[in-house]
Amino acid sequence: MKNFAIICDATCDLGEELRKEYDIKVVAGHVKLPDGSEKKAMPGWNDFTKEEFYTALKAAPNSFTTSPANVAEFSEAFEATVREGLDVLCMTISSGISGAFGFASEAAAEIAKKYPEAKIVCVDSLRFGPGFGLMAIRASELRAGGKSLSETADWLETNKNRYHQAGWLDDLSFVAKKGRLTHAKAFFGTLAGVKPIGEFDYNGLTTVIGKVKGAKTAYATLLDYIEKTGEDLTNQTVFIAQTNRQKEAEEYKRLIEEKFHPKAVIIKDVYPLCAINIGPGLMAAYYAGKPISKDLSAERKILEDFAAGGKRQ
Amino acid sequence: MSVKRVDGALMAGMLKNGLACLKASEEKINILNVFPVADGDTGTNMRLTLENGLNVAKPVKELGPYLQSVSTGMLYGARGNSGVILSQLMNGFAQELARVPSADTGEVKRSLIRAYQMAYNSVIRPVEGTILTVAREGIEHIRSQVTRRTTIDQLLSMYLAEMRKTLAYTPELLAELKEAGVVDSGGLGYITIVEGMLKYLNGEVLTGAGEEIEQKAPQPSVDLSLFNEHSSFIDGYCMEFILQLLLDPAYDQDFRLPSFIKKLEARGNSIVAVQDNRRVKVHIHTKIPSAVMALAQKYGEFITFKLDNMQVQHNEHTRAVKSVKKHVPLQVITVADGDGMRELFSGAGAGDILDGGASMNTSAQEFVSAFKAADADRYLVLPNNKNITLAARQAAALSLGKKVTVLPTRSMVEGYFALAMDVPDSEDIDYRVRQMELGAENVVTLSVAKSAKDTTYHGMLVRAGDWLSFIDDEPASAAGSRIEALIAGLAAVPDIRDRETCILFRGVDTDEAEEAELEERIGKLYPDLELSFIYGGQSVYGWLVGLS
Repeated sequence: MKNFAIICDATCDLGEELRKEYDIKVVAGHVKLPDGSEKKAMPGWNDFTKEEFYTALKAAPNSFTTSPANVAEFSEAFEATVREGLDVLCMTISSGISGAFGFASEAAAEIAKKYPEAKIVCVDSLRFGPGFGLMAIRASELRAGGKSLSETADWLETNKNRYHQAGWLDDLSFVAKKGRLTHAKAFFGTLAGVKPIGEFDYNGLTTVIGKVKGAKTAYATLLDYIEKTGEDLTNQTVFIAQTNRQKEAEEYKRLIEEKFHPKAVIIKDVYPLCAINIGPGLMAAYYAGKPISKDLSAERKILEDFAAGGKRQ
Repeated sequence: MSVKRVDGALMAGMLKNGLACLKASEEKINILNVFPVADGDTGTNMRLTLENGLNVAKPVKELGPYLQSVSTGMLYGARGNSGVILSQLMNGFAQELARVPSADTGEVKRSLIRAYQMAYNSVIRPVEGTILTVAREGIEHIRSQVTRRTTIDQLLSMYLAEMRKTLAYTPELLAELKEAGVVDSGGLGYITIVEGMLKYLNGEVLTGAGEEIEQKAPQPSVDLSLFNEHSSFIDGYCMEFILQLLLDPAYDQDFRLPSFIKKLEARGNSIVAVQDNRRVKVHIHTKIPSAVMALAQKYGEFITFKLDNMQVQHNEHTRAVKSVKKHVPLQVITVADGDGMRELFSGAGAGDILDGGASMNTSAQEFVSAFKAADADRYLVLPNNKNITLAARQAAALSLGKKVTVLPTRSMVEGYFALAMDVPDSEDIDYRVRQMELGAENVVTLSVAKSAKDTTYHGMLVRAGDWLSFIDDEPASAAGSRIEALIAGLAAVPDIRDRETCILFRGVDTDEAEEAELEERIGKLYPDLELSFIYGGQSVYGWLVGLS
């Protein structure tokens, strides 16, 4: 059995350390800065410090834009890997959000023509950011456990809808503006005192499935939600992603560890390529569990039941 | 005077006299307001309610239809709790007499009973010591004394005497009246109206009672930009005037209406001209107003004169026809005072924001119009004031075929939390309504305002000019400055240490320096509280604070 490389686009948001640890390659994306210049972007704090970046983003949220790697860039990455004698498992950001899956597939077809013996499989992760990254880590674990490229890809196809996001977004205006949020029908700005709870929908778009008042209620609601949607948490790595919410993320980590004892809980930053589309104010856990229902009705109900229960107490 | 029967015409005179009597005492009744802050006033709310009934009523001789039209006008025009109850008293009164051309004393008695019963039923939790008790005891205590020989004026006279007795002991029934040392203002308002009605029967017509009631309905504003340099002028002007024919020999003395109309016809169309002795009222559509004016001024001078560009109105109409109402699953209608609050509510997804003004006394009619103005599967009202909830419920009852839910938010703060918890992208309307209910729950509203008078209120001695803080409408503290009143109010919130979020809505006459001071002081006192400051622009309450 031939070995395979895992190649993700940069929205998997895995920093250098995690990429090394799990041997995951990343194709850089593109960020356009307020001054008009364009930069290739890898997950990490390469061009700015975290503070500089969030200050600039807050000041001019619309002056940053992102774009995925193009066909040539995917081809280049695939070709280099194939020439090392490896097959390729390429994972991309949800096709509901970006065109990356199409570009990667085109590149894969091109390289396959040139190197008929090479096997390149593209998987649409149906997620972005930390949810996508967590899935890539799982793929790497499967590979380390001896699964073949096909087996790993099959597992991903079967299970990608099990990747959850349980957290809040203090400022929804970013997500709504950039189209990463479904049905942005009404105001999604900063809502003082209220925490919108976001989950991935079937296509990986963050959707508000409920709102709660205050951080304490939010933690309690989220823990209940993880309990009801998560599976086998003790054998999982859980990500907590945060954009400028370190204090809350640490509290959330403590609570999750106390209640679920996962293999590891990693608090990670959201790097510019994703943060530009999320904005400040994200604080969410990512984990695998039960499949997400098509219209998110089951997930909404969990929040609703919890709220109703809280009222009875 | 002994009156044995009352018909529509007589009742109209009585009610107009009642209104005139109420108007004369309006300020006196307003002052009885136990709430030390100058906002929604009983006298004014009752007057506006009755006035609306008499404005829209059709002057007919039959009592039943006349009262029906007064009642409908009052139900729609009801403002404030006292106005809603007054409208329900009239509703019961009118229902009992719906089929009669005129009523005798026995029928009037029965209708006064039906009146208070209707009013009690309209209130979810009737409170004794109010207008309800006054109206109930007034008739219940005398009903057995009314005989075949009792005349209507005697009945009203006995009714009044009993109601005055009840009014005098309302402070014994309602602690807050006793403490403020006043009688119930709504009860007094009702008695004042009945007094005016009785006076009419006794031949005492009050100034103002016979006059046309002032039309207070706001004119719909016309969008003047619809007629501009690119417009064409096809429709002409609509002209209306009353011409006083003058005896001065400088004017043509030979005025004859038929020939005047003939001359008008040469200058325009849609002509209506009526002569009342030496006055002529004219309506005409014309493109050359100066020609019509010149013709009229041959005979006299204008008493009133009105000229409208019909092209503007036409364009308005065209636009209205074009702008098809967008269908929404849930139309959220709320009430706000202050530009900041309006903007906030609009941004948070409210479909319609009624202007509550400083007095927050939105009428039932305003809600009914708001329901009509939107095409929605369901309507949710956030009244944001205890005094508006009844009017909103009344409007819901008047709007048959519309599915209306009133979520009785007591303050704009509760209204904000309700809206902020809405999930507008959900298609499940029940879920959205439940979310908003959750939003308004367990919210403490702290408000700070200046006292309008010296009074004792809930055990606090208050001087006019003092700053008072209220926790959910209950007084919490009084202090010499607004900031101190707010800080003391916060300390009086029983579970302040368990609260997580504190949103401070800044009033129109409060500045940012005060905001900075509050941020620092509250931050030190309650470091765990998440503070947010939002400009609300509300008028009476310098600060509105939401704790959740």
